[in-house]
Amino acid sequence: MRPGAGRAQHQALPVGDWNQYFLVINRNKKSLAVDLKKPEGRQLVTELAAKSDVFLSNVGNDNLERYGLGYEALATLNPKLVYATTTGYGPFGNNTKPSFDMTVQALTGLMTRLGEPGEPPIYLGMGSGDAYGGLMAAFAIVTALYQRARTGKGQFLDASLYGSQLFLAAPTLQRYLASRSQRESRQVSRRDLANPVWNLFPGSDRWLFVCVRDEDARFGQLCAAIGRPTLASDSRFASADARRAHRGELVDTLDEIFRGRTAGSWTDTLTAAGLVATPIQTLEDLAADPQTWANDYFVTAYCEEVKREVKVRGLPITLSKTPGLVQTLGPELGQDTEMILFETLGYDWDKIGELKSAGVIP
Amino acid sequence: MSAALSDVVVVELASEPWTALAGAFLADFGARVVRIDDRAGTVSRSADDPPPSERPGWDPEAELVHRNKRAVSLDLANPEGQSLLHDLARGADVFLTDWPARDLAAHGLDAASLAQLNPRLVYARGTAAGSKGPDADLPPLDELAAARTGMMPILQQPGMPPVYAGHGSMYTSVMLGFGIVTALIHRDVSGEGQQVDSSLLAGNMYGASLDVQAFLAMGGERFLEPVSRLDAGNPMSGTVYPAQDGRWVTLTMPDTDRWWPAFSELVGLDVNDPRFDTHEKRCGAHRLEMMEVLAERFVAKPADHWRQGFNAKKLSADIIEDYSYPADDPDARKNRYVLDLDRPGVGRVASLGFPIFASESPARLERTAPCTGQHTDEVLRERLGLSELAIAGLRGRGAIG
Repeated sequence: MRPGAGRAQHQALPVGDWNQYFLVINRNKKSLAVDLKKPEGRQLVTELAAKSDVFLSNVGNDNLERYGLGYEALATLNPKLVYATTTGYGPFGNNTKPSFDMTVQALTGLMTRLGEPGEPPIYLGMGSGDAYGGLMAAFAIVTALYQRARTGKGQFLDASLYGSQLFLAAPTLQRYLASRSQRESRQVSRRDLANPVWNLFPGSDRWLFVCVRDEDARFGQLCAAIGRPTLASDSRFASADARRAHRGELVDTLDEIFRGRTAGSWTDTLTAAGLVATPIQTLEDLAADPQTWANDYFVTAYCEEVKREVKVRGLPITLSKTPGLVQTLGPELGQDTEMILFETLGYDWDKIGELKSAGVIP
Repeated sequence: MSAALSDVVVVELASEPWTALAGAFLADFGARVVRIDDRAGTVSRSADDPPPSERPGWDPEAELVHRNKRAVSLDLANPEGQSLLHDLARGADVFLTDWPARDLAAHGLDAASLAQLNPRLVYARGTAAGSKGPDADLPPLDELAAARTGMMPILQQPGMPPVYAGHGSMYTSVMLGFGIVTALIHRDVSGEGQQVDSSLLAGNMYGASLDVQAFLAMGGERFLEPVSRLDAGNPMSGTVYPAQDGRWVTLTMPDTDRWWPAFSELVGLDVNDPRFDTHEKRCGAHRLEMMEVLAERFVAKPADHWRQGFNAKKLSADIIEDYSYPADDPDARKNRYVLDLDRPGVGRVASLGFPIFASESPARLERTAPCTGQHTDEVLRERLGLSELAIAGLRGRGAIG
């Protein structure tokens, strides 16, 4: 159910020859179109909520109240309802600013610590935070449903974009909260890492990630594997303390060596030596990565819009006995309106016709 | 106020913090999570930090990922220690692990073995890149998954090294929590447990969903190479510009027509400027010119000036902050996204709190993170009914810590 003409952001998102953004995000759903500005429209949604297990909205609590779809109103009608919102900044406090993904990500502080010093802040990618807020809401909803099976009661839930995105930053934000150290909040050069050999290195064709624990024996293995065993006994690099003290020099030295061969060839060499390394893939590599298809992280689905099978992202969680499926791509706006009114609310065709002519439904 | 998951017992055998965080999310909502510390060190933590038990002093990461749990120390190389873990799993609702398949099998802790002991068990495993496929046995490092996902080459400016952001595993933590509770709901109806799998690759890919899906649908070079920040598709959306004081502003106003009147006034441009007076010009013929003009305007005033203007005009734009912002933000504390807690021996410390608000069964901090093996005796008494004498015997034989 979507009030108005849909979110403005769609205008800016590239889609291609089928509407991949809308159809994938709304997979497995039905669509009912309704005009919430009309009292009959609000009434219809209220009746649906009375017969539902979950109500989920990002419309904003003020608007929901105005439509008579606030938590109190719906919980009175249906005490078993799990009512979930995804606000921008949480249910408490005074922040009423627009809450698009990137402007909220900007407040978390995460963007400021990414990249080399002096470089612009870095956004994690289209909808990166939205996706996390959505997951948090899903977790909250199933948890409340689990409890409802015991108590018979629903509740009000909120997973905000800001609160969720603070957890996206958890691996470093948690250390900053404890220490208030700028080392955790500012950009750190790859020539300045505490462990210089847990690092990105440039192969001749692309970069690779090398993950070697900062222990003398491991460092020795690395030096041997890259054909420079004498580096391990070089006084600048012979101990963890020395490596740390000369970390910039060590990274420069290793960069020089790694530039001599491809990332794939280095990965083979290091893996054979019992070390962990991997080439940095592109989205093109990912799309062809057998691991993604073997685990159904990518699947194909039939797209009505272009009348062919299309590649879509699958489900990131696998349940062995009750697996999720991409059964259908998203619906056309309002395609199921009449069937839902007929089957779920028991409206007869006369009443549905009246609602249509009154412009409550399309 | 009740706890949503108070009848759920979780046994957690995890070596990576993101797996432990999945356990913490369950524990925040009342699940009784028993964390197993393996004295034998069968599986060492693979990140570059030493394992938490070897770090000096207080560890803020452990405080987060182990809060609300009890800790039991077992020697899993000792047959009696192994047998205790089997007994705990027999009486549990959930087994949560990120151990490699071969180590689990060697300890009789694979899904099939535990399902025989306890057919109602929800068996959840976090892996590197999924439990199927040629790379099912990779070490569970977020770096490897991020490298695989395809975003690292395109986040930064052209010519700069790829960027490892470190956030991918956070998606995986919530996915594991979601999968576990979904499986528990199914068990309520069917009586049967099942396996729940998620992975770091799945988490990283989910975080990159829109870019990944756009590439699948359209392909194209622009998803493979970094794009300069002054070559964005829309000067008013997804863009960053430095202000006078070196801080940055960011704009997200994709439907530029809606925002243009207020925005043009703020940056001192004529709303009818013939170069920029339609969305098509702003995002088309005069796109690059507009970005240069905006860059000049923004760099002429400090970031706070711009924030005041954005707020006064209700624009979708803000300053790009550093971590001091959430650390000092009163709203972050009002919403319990950040908590202040008392840690004995350390004092009052700030920590990430709870990302979810729940009116009837709110997340709560019942106990701060335990030390290794802090609750061994208590849990063995309570869960397995062992006597003091039996526990002393097990300790004498080295089976427990």
